[in-house]
Amino acid sequence: MAVPAATIPFLDVTDPAFSIRSDEVRAAREAGWYARTPYGIAVLRYDQVSRLVKDRRLIQGSAAWPAHNKVTGPWADWWRRMILNREGDDHARLRRLMNPAFSSRLITALVPQFQALAGELIDGFAERGRCEFMSEFAEPYATRVTAQLLGIPEDEWRTLADWAEALGLGLSVSVAEHLPEIEAALEGFYGYADELIAERRRTRRDDFVTHLVEANEDADRLSDEELRDNLVLLIFGGIDTTRNQLGLGIDLFVRHPDQWRLLAERPELAPSAVEEIMRVRPTVTWVTREATESFEFDGLTVTTGTTVHLFSESAGTDPAILGGDQGFDIAATVRPRHFGFGGGRHFCLGHFIARGDMGEALVLLARRLPNVRHDGEPVFLPDSGNTGPVSLPIRFDRGT
Amino acid sequence: MRIVHDRERCQLHGQCTIAAPDIFRFDDGGELEVDPSPDETLRADAESAMDVCPERAITVVADDE
Repeated sequence: MAVPAATIPFLDVTDPAFSIRSDEVRAAREAGWYARTPYGIAVLRYDQVSRLVKDRRLIQGSAAWPAHNKVTGPWADWWRRMILNREGDDHARLRRLMNPAFSSRLITALVPQFQALAGELIDGFAERGRCEFMSEFAEPYATRVTAQLLGIPEDEWRTLADWAEALGLGLSVSVAEHLPEIEAALEGFYGYADELIAERRRTRRDDFVTHLVEANEDADRLSDEELRDNLVLLIFGGIDTTRNQLGLGIDLFVRHPDQWRLLAERPELAPSAVEEIMRVRPTVTWVTREATESFEFDGLTVTTGTTVHLFSESAGTDPAILGGDQGFDIAATVRPRHFGFGGGRHFCLGHFIARGDMGEALVLLARRLPNVRHDGEPVFLPDSGNTGPVSLPIRFDRGT
Repeated sequence: MRIVHDRERCQLHGQCTIAAPDIFRFDDGGELEVDPSPDETLRADAESAMDVCPERAITVVADDE
């Protein structure tokens, strides 16, 4: 039986001041498993999120995101065309082409490179006892790891990081307001991808871009437009989410100094630390789905076309699965799943690399930046959509 | 070759059905069907499925293992 809509909480998630971590959301989660939003519904509890994330009556629902924000034009067109918003055979074809660059075996071999890069970046500010974490670590690290993985030059990292940051605003609830800078960044990425493709067509290498360029020789396997669109996505996705998630992680550790000390003492906790950060403070604050048919679900009639936002932070911190303990504990022996990589057919392509590179970075940072603390107020993107620090000044004890 | 599929770890993401559609498929009820001993010609697909599974629920082993 459907519940009368008027009794269900309404969350204005489109308001930039709205926070997925607010008392309002906590109260709504206490009251029921979902809330109404301007986009559709928000799913707030672990039980329902874990079932809906892989429910085959729903598809990845981000295709409607530009329309939800009344945005059209080049960015909206790119958004609809790239792999995240493709379904069925087209999605499978593209995913099969991209999988080889992101396999677990390949990533394991890259760990020494992650460590060397993290060490080099920390050397740049360790003696100073302070740094602006986003521009001095998170951005160069995320960007240069992505460059290494894709076989593109690392020395242009600043330009790529700036474009990625601007394109990332497309996933924020403020997308309409930022459209000019988002489209300028997309234009920059297109030019960069075109040059890269032309260069690889002239000179083949043993790398991932060449693999895609070779697939593109048969347009039915990969069209020119698909090649460019998805190269942009891979560069952007590798940079922006890792940058944000690392920043959110450091901010969390600043607020939990005992956990920072623990990570420095027990580096084997790095993989758990990454999972715990993504459970408590995910950059992907919601995973989007769209109903392809009408169906009954836990007392609600979900109608065809409804956008369903699965609130990852709300589900990950749901007291129903955690009992009384809602803290941040990287050494917890039992940890509920998190939804920071989504789930199902669109499960984050880069999750092995994200887990690997963030884990290695966090361990080195914890060892070399003891007693980390804020050095002025951090500035954050709106706390919904994809979020993260814009700037995060920190201080730490010098000389290690 | 044999496919060892760990049903406890499996979260039904379906990445294997993309990487190796001749070995893994969803039935009408949404359950994963696995061919436990696929033809050797499918080895590349099988290993790709093993590599991409987010839960590391798939192992490809030799017939005599």
